[in-house]
Amino acid sequence: MGGAVELVVSHPPSAVAVAPGQFFQLAVNAPHTILRRPYSAAWSDSAGGRIGFIFNVVGAGSTWLAALGEGDELDLLGPLGRGFDLDGKRSAICVAGGLGVAVFPGVIQALVARGRTVTVLQGARTAAQLLPAARFAGAEVQVATDDGSAGQHGSVVDLLANLLSHREQFPPPFTGEGQGGGVDILTCGPTPMLTALIDAARRQEIPLSSIQVALETPMGCGVGTCLGCAAPRSAGGYLLTCQEGPCVRADRIEWDAMTDAFHG
Amino acid sequence: MVERPDLTVELGRGLRLRSPVMVASGTFGYGFEAPQVDRAALGAIVSKGTTLRAREGNAPIRIAETPSGMLNAIGLQNPGVDHVARVYAPQWATWDLPVIVNVAGDSVEEYVAVARRLDGVAGVAALELNISCPNVQSGLQFGVDPAMAAEVTRAVRAATELPLIVKLTPNVTDIVAIARAVEDAGADAVSAINTYVGMSIDVRRRRPVVSRGSGGLSGPAIKPLALHAVWQVAAEVHIPVIGVGGIMTPNDALEFLLAGAAAVQLGTVNYIRPQAAAEIHDGIAGYMVQHGLAGIRGLQIRPTSVLTNV
Repeated sequence: MGGAVELVVSHPPSAVAVAPGQFFQLAVNAPHTILRRPYSAAWSDSAGGRIGFIFNVVGAGSTWLAALGEGDELDLLGPLGRGFDLDGKRSAICVAGGLGVAVFPGVIQALVARGRTVTVLQGARTAAQLLPAARFAGAEVQVATDDGSAGQHGSVVDLLANLLSHREQFPPPFTGEGQGGGVDILTCGPTPMLTALIDAARRQEIPLSSIQVALETPMGCGVGTCLGCAAPRSAGGYLLTCQEGPCVRADRIEWDAMTDAFHG
Repeated sequence: MVERPDLTVELGRGLRLRSPVMVASGTFGYGFEAPQVDRAALGAIVSKGTTLRAREGNAPIRIAETPSGMLNAIGLQNPGVDHVARVYAPQWATWDLPVIVNVAGDSVEEYVAVARRLDGVAGVAALELNISCPNVQSGLQFGVDPAMAAEVTRAVRAATELPLIVKLTPNVTDIVAIARAVEDAGADAVSAINTYVGMSIDVRRRRPVVSRGSGGLSGPAIKPLALHAVWQVAAEVHIPVIGVGGIMTPNDALEFLLAGAAAVQLGTVNYIRPQAAAEIHDGIAGYMVQHGLAGIRGLQIRPTSVLTNV
C-alpha cells in the first residue's frame, strides 16, 4: 500500500481489551510536537497480544512513528472511545475511503466471525493506495479508484449506490432497523466522501440509523477533558468524538455543519 | 538535613493545599475524567470554566497543534453552575482533594450569580475567576483593564465567603497593574497566566484552523513568557501567585516556584502525560531535600515585595 505504514505493537492487555473501531492515543517524541496522535486500531490479535495500526506518513508525528524499529518502545493510551456496534444478523457493507480503510480489517474479521455477510467497498485515489483484498478474509471486496487504475473508475460512493440499487440482494423489506431486513453500513473516510454517502443513502431511503460512521476530528486528550474533538450533533450542540465516538450512528450527526467545519 | 519537606501551601482565607501541584482549569474537566492521574500528588483540582447557564461551546475545529504548543477555542462548554452545584459538588465533598471552581461570565452580574450559587456549597473549596472573558457591554475582556478587573473581583468578593483566586490574562500591556488592582479589590491569590491569544491558518483551506479564528496558546511554547509574568507579578503583590503556563517537567515547576510562585498548575501536560503530576510533585520534594529547604516558600530566590525592574 503506497505511502501507508503498518505499525505492529505488542501489548497483550491492549490487544485483548480493544474492540473494533476503538482508538489509542500514541505518544510521539518528534521535535516541537506536543499532543498524542489518535489512531484507530486496524486489527488486534488477542492470542498473539498484538495490535496493528495503519496510517499515512503525513506530518512530524506519523514520520516519527513510522521510523520506529523492532524492539522500540511506544507509549500508548487506550483503548479509548466507542467502537462499532457489530451485533445483528443483517448483511453489512463496509465503505472505506482513502486511509479510512485502516479501521476495517479488525471490524470485518469480527463481522465475519459473527456469521454476517460482509461486502467491502474500498475507494482510493489510485491502485497503490488500496489495502489488498486478502486483508478482508471472508468478505466480498469491490474497489474503486479516482484514476481508474483498479476496479471501477470513480468514487466508492458510486459502488455503494450501485449496490443499493440492486436491493434484491438483500432480504426485504429493506427498511432498516428493527425490521429484520436491509443492511448495516459501516463507513470511514474523508468528510466529502461521508457526506456523499449520506446523500446517496437518503436518496435510496436508507435510514441513517442503519449507518455507523467512524469519525475523524482533531483531538487533544482523547479522554474527554479538553473538549477539543467536538462534532456537530443533529440534536443540537456537539458530541465528543473521543467519548461518544469515534463510531457513531450517522443520524446523530449534523452533516451540513460537519462539512462546514471540516471541509468548508 | 530536611528529610521530609513540607509541601503544603496556603493560598489565603484558609485554603490550604497538601501539595503545590494543581491541575489547571479546562484540562481536567470536573475531576471525573483522567483516571491515570495520581491524585495523591495533587494539591487541588481547578474545574472547567463554569457559567450561569449551560453552554454548548464553539463549533469545530476547536484545537490545533502548534510548535511546542496548542491553540484552543472551546467556547466555555459547560453544564452550568446549577448542575455543578447539585451533581458534582456533592461528590467532591467526599474527596480528600479540594476542588476549586473556575468561574466565567460575560457580565459582572453573571460572575456574581455564579459565585453566589456556589457560596456555602459543600465540596467547593474556592473560586478561581476567569477574567479573560469578553464583557458583553464593552466587548473588552474584563482582565485587560485594571478598573474592570477590580470591579468584577470586588463584586464577587462581596458575594462569597469562599477563597477567591483571580486568573490573570497575559494579553495585556501591564499584567502587574492588573494584579495589583485585583489584590486591592480583595483577591486572595492570583493565577498567572491564562493562555496567550494566537492563531494558525490552514493554507490549503485558506482559513484559520480553529473556527473562532483565534485561540488560546498553551504548552511549552509559552513557558518563558508565563515565567516572566510570574516573576514580575510576584515581586509586586503580597498575595500568593499560582504559576501556570507550559509546565511539563519538575524542572519547569521549580522555575516557577523559584520565580516566586506559591504553587503551580499543570495544564496541557495533563493531555499528554497523566503521570506528570506525580513526577513533578516528587521532583519538587526531592529538590527541597537536596537544597535543605523545609517549605515551599523557601524556594523563591528573591524575597517577596522587593521591587524589581526586570
